Amino acid sequence: MGKLIFNYERCTGCRACELACSFHKEGVFAPSKSRIKIVRIDEEGLDIPIGCEQCDNAPCITACPTRALSRNTETNAIVLSPDFCIGCKQCMVVCPFGAIHFNENRKIFYKCDLCDGSPECIKWCVTGGIEYYEEIEEFPKRKSADRIQHFLLNLPKSTRPIDTGGGKKE
Amino acid sequence: MTFDYGGYAGKTLRVDLSKGKILKETQSKPRVEKYLGGRGADAKILFDELEPNINPLNSDNILCISTGPITGLLGPTTGRINVATKSPLTEIYGNSNAGSDWGSELKYAGYDNIIIKGKAPKPVYLCIDDEHVELKDAAHLWREGIFEATLALQEEQRGYDTKVAAIGPAAENGVLFCSIIFNLWDSAGRTGTGTVMASKNLKAITVSGSGELKVADPDRYLEIVRDGWLGILNDPGFLTGEHQALGTPICVNWGNAQGWLPTRNFRETTFEGADSISGEEFRDKYSTRSSPIPGGRACMSCPNRCKRFGRIESGKYAGTRGAIEFEGIAAFGSKCGVSDLEAVFHAYTLANDYGMDCVSCGNAIATFMELVEEGILEDVDKLGLKFGNADAMVEMVHRIANKQDKLGSLGALGAYKAALKIGKNAVDYTTSIKGMDTIACDPRVAKGFGLTYAISSRGSDHLRTHVVFEMIRMPPEIGKELFGSEKACDLMSYDGKVRMVLWHENLAAITDSIGSCRFMHGSYYAQYPVPELLGKLHNKKEVNSIKYHDWISAATGMKIDYKKLLDIGHRIVNIERALNTRFGIRRKDDMLPKKFSEPIKKGPRKGQSFPKEQLEKMLDEYYTNRGWDLKTGLIKKSELIKLDMKEVLDDLDKENLVK
Repeated sequence: MGKLIFNYERCTGCRACELACSFHKEGVFAPSKSRIKIVRIDEEGLDIPIGCEQCDNAPCITACPTRALSRNTETNAIVLSPDFCIGCKQCMVVCPFGAIHFNENRKIFYKCDLCDGSPECIKWCVTGGIEYYEEIEEFPKRKSADRIQHFLLNLPKSTRPIDTGGGKKE
Repeated sequence: MTFDYGGYAGKTLRVDLSKGKILKETQSKPRVEKYLGGRGADAKILFDELEPNINPLNSDNILCISTGPITGLLGPTTGRINVATKSPLTEIYGNSNAGSDWGSELKYAGYDNIIIKGKAPKPVYLCIDDEHVELKDAAHLWREGIFEATLALQEEQRGYDTKVAAIGPAAENGVLFCSIIFNLWDSAGRTGTGTVMASKNLKAITVSGSGELKVADPDRYLEIVRDGWLGILNDPGFLTGEHQALGTPICVNWGNAQGWLPTRNFRETTFEGADSISGEEFRDKYSTRSSPIPGGRACMSCPNRCKRFGRIESGKYAGTRGAIEFEGIAAFGSKCGVSDLEAVFHAYTLANDYGMDCVSCGNAIATFMELVEEGILEDVDKLGLKFGNADAMVEMVHRIANKQDKLGSLGALGAYKAALKIGKNAVDYTTSIKGMDTIACDPRVAKGFGLTYAISSRGSDHLRTHVVFEMIRMPPEIGKELFGSEKACDLMSYDGKVRMVLWHENLAAITDSIGSCRFMHGSYYAQYPVPELLGKLHNKKEVNSIKYHDWISAATGMKIDYKKLLDIGHRIVNIERALNTRFGIRRKDDMLPKKFSEPIKKGPRKGQSFPKEQLEKMLDEYYTNRGWDLKTGLIKKSELIKLDMKEVLDDLDKENLVK
């Protein structure tokens, strides 16, 4: 029962995780094919890692009309079966974190599957911006709640609404 | 793979702004075989295509922007981007290097480099979105600062997924030392590349890429890259954690303790106010993030995160925010004698937003302060220009950017050209070599840096070698083994320094050409063979290191060993020299300014100087090793043949520029 924890205040935005992910999964270096994404907000000096939180009551599973998304009970990862996927993009729409990526060229979705319990991204993260917990009991629950609260309360006034801009095209 | 070698994106983007034409060429195979990419390839392009005797701000000038074969390929510190052109500041070969993830994004979009010629009839920006490349109207962005322009362009394009390289209003005003600023805070600062971009009516280049990059031998590549990451993470310097905690601003206190921190325009080398403008002070007061990495931000795939991000919350300069770095702090701080970090930080972000090079801007102000104090220049605008006056310093930044009044217009020429215009003996108070002013390290104390300044191809500059070797406590045995003298590790010794400079210069040329960062082989010493030697010394069985030769080989599929690697570095230094001989650079230009042959007057390093005779002796040794003529400084024919640079030799021979 694993989970990745994303620590925005430790992330320096080096994007090594993106490259490690795409290389591990696809054999190429391409952030667009990565399951994890770093949003670099340069004007505030913030770098925010975004990836699948493997929600317990996952909106993506609920929204998927063909049951292409299901939970792997061993790793706790929500995995995507490409064979069942019809490309309706409902999962992308409902994901509150924007953690499901769609590649326009290959018409394929990318979704973190925790690399079968041994995530490649954390092996390359030298700052602790991403951490992996194997057991739910270990989660620093209170800590993450505090962190999010701290983040929201301390958002500078000048910050624009956080817009990852992913896939936005006119 | 469309291109024969892995790692490369495989295409060159050629933009003719006058005609509005954009061409996508296949990457030149012979060029990357000989010069790899980045700085080396740019120098070759300029050598082949640039008319040497033009005015740098003429539309015929060429602006090259290049990545290298390992940019964006997960290796440590592979986010660098190289910019080259004929410099308006020095009127010789100009080149500058920046970080961020702009370069990698360019490669993901499918291009290794961009060659820009001509001049657009009206302001435009170049929009690169994978295969869609077009010039778009930028009239609404002209005169906007870097901050506004970058944010506006991100809004127009794909938000934070769009990476922006922009120029600021100072460049549009024709200030000679303007930068191209990548993603708000990373600047290709020196030699006025931004001014050239502005003279072409090109406001910005936006990039977003969704493509992929392949390497020739994936399994081996991953192994080598992992070895490289471990090499840097286990480097003794890195392990101290000091640099990670404070970023480059650590050098303020470090330089002050070692006595090479230029103070009051190089009058002294220790600054009594160093503590109050130090990295520690910045971390404690202005860093936006708490521990363990206060305000640290990284370029692409970089474990080092040398940029510090901070914000001033209250007081006179409330609202100032940005990423800060050592050179800028020293330029506006100790060089101007200002010990108010808020004023320094503010001046730094102002210069950044105007799109100016902090180093040249700070140096111009510091030089003026000294000239006013010496009575050579009159403070006609009544600013109260004197060392330590923070308000005057901040005001001067505005005035230089806008070329306002007499001192503003003078400052916009850069310290050297301004001093020539002022006349009398004003030039003696500048620290310019080949027209470029000196960065924040006094060569009278750091002798290896001194030689570097003199021989550097873009004028006074430390990054051509970055011989930090002499500043950190390296075991003398390493100095003996690598550079033939135990004293090479000694800051104030001249022994072994020429060999040290040669090794560093060759590797720095490689670093810039493959898209990696200087910190890997100078500063930290994770580059082969230093970790191996250190391991042997400490009887360590397993050693990790960065091996550029293996790294490039595995990524591209070329066969390069350590010796061939150094040869390529040597070749890149020579192509730059060839280019510079066309611009009229000879031995007389490889010099140190008068200021550095005079002894330091005060402080713990009192009495130290870099005598001219000593420099000449070192230059003789350096020239012999480089294969350059001792008298004129022209490259010898035999050397060019040895380096397999026949086509360069033929061209130079026609112009009678070889010996």
